[in-house]
Amino acid sequence: MMQTVTLKIDGTPVRATKGSSVLDAALECGICIPHLCHVPSLKDTGACRICIVENVRNGGSSVTASCTLTAQEGMVIRTNTEKIRKLRHNIAEMLVAQAPNSKAVQDVAVRCGVKEVRYPFRNDNCIQCGRCVRYCTEMWRANALGFVGRGKNRRVEFPFATRPEFCKNCGSCTLYCPMSVTPCGGPMKRGEESLCGKCESQTVMTPGMIGACVRCDLGKGFQCTRHVL
Amino acid sequence: MPKLNHCSDLEALRQKLQEDRKCIQSTIIIPNGTCCQASNSPAVINAIRKELARQGIDKNVQVHLTGCHGFCEQEPMILFEPGNLIYCHVTPEDAKEIVARTVKNGEIIDRLLYTDPVSGKKFRTETEIPFYQAQDRQLLAYNKWVDPCSIEDYIAVGGYKALAKTLTGIAPKTVIEEIKSSGLRGRGGGGFPTGRKWAEARSVPEDEKYVVCNADEGDPGAYMDRCVLESNPHLVIEGMMIGAWAVGARQGYIYVRNEYPLAVQHARLAVKRARELGLLGENILGSPFSFDVDVARGGGAFVCGESTALMTSLEGKVGEPRPKDIHTVKEGLWNKPSVLNNVETWANVPSIIVNGSGWFASKGTKGSKGTKIFALTGQVKNTGLVEIAMGTTLHDIIFKIGGGPKNGKAIKAVQTGGPSGGCLPVSKFDIPVDFDTLYETGSMMGSGGMVVMDEGTCMVDVAKYFLKFLQDESCGKCVPCRVGVDRMLEIVTDITEGRGSREQISLLQELAETVAETSLCGLGKTASNPVLSTMRYFADEYAAHVDEKRCPAGVCKELIHYDILAEKCTGCGVCLRSCPYDAIKGVKKKVHAIEEQICLKCGICVTECKYDAIAVG
Repeated sequence: MMQTVTLKIDGTPVRATKGSSVLDAALECGICIPHLCHVPSLKDTGACRICIVENVRNGGSSVTASCTLTAQEGMVIRTNTEKIRKLRHNIAEMLVAQAPNSKAVQDVAVRCGVKEVRYPFRNDNCIQCGRCVRYCTEMWRANALGFVGRGKNRRVEFPFATRPEFCKNCGSCTLYCPMSVTPCGGPMKRGEESLCGKCESQTVMTPGMIGACVRCDLGKGFQCTRHVL
Repeated sequence: MPKLNHCSDLEALRQKLQEDRKCIQSTIIIPNGTCCQASNSPAVINAIRKELARQGIDKNVQVHLTGCHGFCEQEPMILFEPGNLIYCHVTPEDAKEIVARTVKNGEIIDRLLYTDPVSGKKFRTETEIPFYQAQDRQLLAYNKWVDPCSIEDYIAVGGYKALAKTLTGIAPKTVIEEIKSSGLRGRGGGGFPTGRKWAEARSVPEDEKYVVCNADEGDPGAYMDRCVLESNPHLVIEGMMIGAWAVGARQGYIYVRNEYPLAVQHARLAVKRARELGLLGENILGSPFSFDVDVARGGGAFVCGESTALMTSLEGKVGEPRPKDIHTVKEGLWNKPSVLNNVETWANVPSIIVNGSGWFASKGTKGSKGTKIFALTGQVKNTGLVEIAMGTTLHDIIFKIGGGPKNGKAIKAVQTGGPSGGCLPVSKFDIPVDFDTLYETGSMMGSGGMVVMDEGTCMVDVAKYFLKFLQDESCGKCVPCRVGVDRMLEIVTDITEGRGSREQISLLQELAETVAETSLCGLGKTASNPVLSTMRYFADEYAAHVDEKRCPAGVCKELIHYDILAEKCTGCGVCLRSCPYDAIKGVKKKVHAIEEQICLKCGICVTECKYDAIAVG
């Protein structure tokens, strides 16, 4: 028999497999926590921080990413407090200002309630979620992609910037890239980026994936705009 | 030297070494740490040695090279024992006179004595100098007596006594209890109780455990860990051995940054010498305890000072932090329980074991015990390493030890804790320096950097400097730190360049709070401290930049302009000749003028003008 732990998410007792993350536990029982860099069956790194939750303990609470938080017996998690909604909104705003061209990022931002962006837009082609790198490394064990550089100069790159022989040409990296979903009406021109807010893309990539948006009722938790629309 | 197989062997060796040292009549101590070498101490050492040989007394006088003595402002220094006489700013040319007069005849050379910049008095001995007098030097006191390359020196001053005491009669649990009751807290910044950390690591049922020493000190303006490790590496190793005994580890690592070549060299040598004596290796001093230390070099990433990033780097991977929801004492290096403490914390352990926890706990405040080393730098007269008991006020450190402002300008703020810390204004100078008080006032202890700033410093510019540093040093893994710090820098740059608005200030505040709450590791969580603390205490400066487009300190180039005051200008033409952009026009003996379109605000004319005729506005 599989070992389970019971934790409370937004007041609801939830049973989860021992060792699974809080994000998985929540998604499995239908509590929608928005997420971006998480890919089921890959190891989570907590890079995008969209899936932050409040972990209540010792009379206080700490904000942490739910994808890297292992579910433990008796844990109390809150996913939709005022504070979390605000922080999540701010992170989504930062992301969409970095990469307004991505349908997936726009989608996440709009769902997190971003209506206007207070920063100048940049047209980055990568938000460094690391989905491609992790898929290549963990799923195919190809190690054909990796991060190079630090801070602002960090980027995804082939080893020594040339495609290696051991790249299996599988195309998973592009399939899993949130930037590769065709943006609405073609790429926006530099300086003319806007958030239409009407974008109804399935949040990212593989249909049927846990957490993919199906205009459900579950987004109430973080006041999902898709739900309100 | 034969291996030490029992504690009595160590004691016998210590007795012998101490006897040997009694025969030495006089010693010249020359500090030769990295900072001393930068101020030309090797040339002084060579000159003194040559001179001693030339005058034929090199047999009677011992030249002793030690680590930094703390008073970096006055280097190169020479100390004479017995007598405790101290000379400052010694040059190689002084060697002849020093040997002939002081060493041979015991005369004192007046011009080489230390002159107190506050009172103008001259002092002969180290104990009289106010800089040393106001301190409580426990860890740094050893530096004077110990040659970092010699394990014999360390044993002679009582080294490895704590280890022998531990191995012969203190159970691991008792060691942890002792550390717990001493109240020692991590000197690396967070101030986590060391005893609790050790107890947690001990309680994990794993065979393989590690102890790690964090010597990856990267804060701008801080160098106390470097000083301790390069001046007295055995003290750190002994501390690690006691820690390893307490938690049950067999392997230790010293993670030291490669930019500290002397520290790397001394640490490696110390490990080698300790192995030769059997103090590291199998069955240390005949006990069942086995332990070894390896020195690992860091590649110079600031983020590798963060515990999880350091361990990832030690494992040979890219030094990026990982989520810390499970503590490193449970799953650290290679997913084994690991105790990570910084250099100063380890260095404090042996004296707690030898003198007892009560001795350590008698110093300091309620929540923070013992002494702490700070690197006092910036606009104060006396800069250097300062060791004080916790709870000493900022005022005492800056004015009593530091000697007050350097250039006559009033002191405005002090920045503690490096890029993770904050800036405290003069009104907070009466607070006692300890972990909790500093945290409450919006700064933090950090590893112990203390940068003093005067009226000539623009606080918005300071925030910009630290953001630039953090933007370069962020690993880039998580969004709030990589993008957030970058955006904060963008906003602060806008403010310093006159494009700021009120909305941007509130956005900056909100952004800073978001970054602090949601970042993955300690670097991001504290990255907004410089911004938040300057906004809290120097809101008027932000307001002046935004509302009046004016920089009160006259630092932000886009917001200042230079004017020649007609009543002071004599028309000497110095500024005209020195201006690299030909922005100053005028004829001899007539008042000059600056053409604003051409002026690039380099400030050369201000420093060149002898009549203070150029005003910054």
